[in-house]
Amino acid sequence: MTKPDDQKISAALAKATCALLGATAIVPVQAEEESKWDFNTALLYYGEDNDRVQDLSVSLLARRNLLDDRSITLGMTVDALTGATPHGAIRQPVAQTFTRPSGNAAYTVPANNLPLDDTFKDTRVALTASWQQPLGRLYQFNVGASASKEYDYLHLGLNAIIARDFNQRNTTVSAGFAFAADSFDPVGGAPTPLTSMLDVGDLSNRQGSQDKDIVDFVFGVTQVVSRNLILQANYSFSDASGYLNDPYKILSVVDGVSGDTVTRTPPPGVEGPSHEYLFESRPDQRTKHGLYGQAKYYMNGKVLDVSYRYMTDDWEIDSHTVDLRLRFPMGDTKFLEPHLRYYTQSEADFYQPSIVDGAPLPTYATNDYRLGNFDAITAGVKFGWQTRNGNDMSVRLELYQQRGSIPADSLIGNQVGYVQYPDLDAVIAQFSYRFGS
Amino acid sequence: MTRNGFLTALVLAVSLLSSVPVAAGETLQLEEYRGKVVLLDFWASWCVPCRRSFPWMNEMQKKYADDGLVVIAVNLDNDAAEAATFLQEYPAVFEIAYDPDKQLARSYNVQAMPTSYLLDRDGATIERHLGFKTAKTDEYEAAIVAALKGAEK
Amino acid sequence: MKIMVTLGLLAVLSGCSSMGVEPWDRDILAKEEMQLTTDPIEAATDDHIYFSKEASSGGRGFGGGGCGCN
Repeated sequence: MTKPDDQKISAALAKATCALLGATAIVPVQAEEESKWDFNTALLYYGEDNDRVQDLSVSLLARRNLLDDRSITLGMTVDALTGATPHGAIRQPVAQTFTRPSGNAAYTVPANNLPLDDTFKDTRVALTASWQQPLGRLYQFNVGASASKEYDYLHLGLNAIIARDFNQRNTTVSAGFAFAADSFDPVGGAPTPLTSMLDVGDLSNRQGSQDKDIVDFVFGVTQVVSRNLILQANYSFSDASGYLNDPYKILSVVDGVSGDTVTRTPPPGVEGPSHEYLFESRPDQRTKHGLYGQAKYYMNGKVLDVSYRYMTDDWEIDSHTVDLRLRFPMGDTKFLEPHLRYYTQSEADFYQPSIVDGAPLPTYATNDYRLGNFDAITAGVKFGWQTRNGNDMSVRLELYQQRGSIPADSLIGNQVGYVQYPDLDAVIAQFSYRFGS
Repeated sequence: MTRNGFLTALVLAVSLLSSVPVAAGETLQLEEYRGKVVLLDFWASWCVPCRRSFPWMNEMQKKYADDGLVVIAVNLDNDAAEAATFLQEYPAVFEIAYDPDKQLARSYNVQAMPTSYLLDRDGATIERHLGFKTAKTDEYEAAIVAALKGAEK
Repeated sequence: MKIMVTLGLLAVLSGCSSMGVEPWDRDILAKEEMQLTTDPIEAATDDHIYFSKEASSGGRGFGGGGCGCN
């Protein structure tokens, strides 16, 4: 029988929506099972080695299915974060003392240790809400809001997505938009970029809270290729403007020949930094483009999920992500799913390990390892099973490793011997339980 | 309506092709239902809206059987066992036919799951509904009543 | 860059117009494990972890696939 004629897609489908920072993903309503309520809960542990970050979180996603493919979804995540993170000062063969972000105290890092800031004992609460419904027969619409709060950070966001089916629902075109207004109220106040870390009690270079706005667009196409194969491709655009610095990150000021950090002595009776450090500085604008492709392939009960993402931005950071999952059914009620993810990124153009004393200051500079040059691998496995009353449980265990490198030409003098990228090893463990009524 | 003309023309071809097995292994001959109003519904076990349509089709069958309504639900599962599991959870008082080779589905040009065709007492297609929406059941029922009274849209 | 991407997607779309399956052949695509995002909490958790530890974030897609019903 005849199929519908080819459809022309007008380029006016530029009104797009995207899920940002963990805002609700469209939960597929038309999968095999349907119930009035669908609850999805999870307990997650994330732990890095060497006294670095540890995070424990509880998540709940509750979806109420209404008549005719409409649904409302509410989500909440609470996480408790402890542990320390490298704040950008390079290690030295002597002990280093830093002033805490609050400006109220100082702490000392032993010689030859990677300086870590352990001020972060923080609890974060994140909430999401979304409404999904069809519009007419061929359109699907989703609108949502998100909010999160930690002691120094507030996020508020709105998102909307519209999708339209073509070719007897073999092709779906979707367009999404998200807007976020975040504000940062750092402990002690946001430091003026590229000014010195001052003595305890001196907050003269601090300002008040700072704002950041983010706009996201996503435009995507999903295509059913065969009974067993579905493909997805999308283009995403993100623009962040405002305060993009990390107020707790610093750079060491070093001698231009030896590369050693310049020392200083606090005034008598006052505690303060033992060396010269400057607060980092990033541009107040960041534009990212992304291309993403995914394939899901069913082979006799096994499901292969492979995806690739390319991202590039005007900070010169380029990244590639390849993600591979293979789900093996074990009988009718269990499955095993190994997972492998490879990620690589190139450093920001203002990424540098240290700042040379006496030389003109760069406009922007950061030694935040997350903007550096590194590869990361995640390897893990997930095991899922159905309980006696037909509910789903699963556990997953993954290892995450970051290995980076610092370009030789940005290391000065003695730094070559002791300045390294702070490699990361972390464990991700999660238990989830999904039930409905 | 040109759509009606097209669909009606299909019926002639369909009535020649409709040798579709019914539950007990006999073939479905739609000509046998001349004189009755037929609600021909195409469904599958994996189709979520089909679960919502079965209770409503049960209601329609019981309510209008005496007036001459016959509901026939044609199953399009590749695996008959999955259809059987579905029917255990959503039992039907109406007739179930099986079309695993998709012969009837193709001849009726089924374009969505589920799709239902309302056939008048002469076997001509009066209406086609793509999908099943509980918000539209009053509309669906009104069309059945009109067909039973002999009116054609 | 943007022009190339738009052209690429339009090319994919026009090529896609004859691909696919009949509405009654969506049985496998309707399965839970064949949805584009099988586990929304896991996806959100991973997005959050990688957002905190890497410079790239987001980019995933949504919509399409499934049983294609209604």
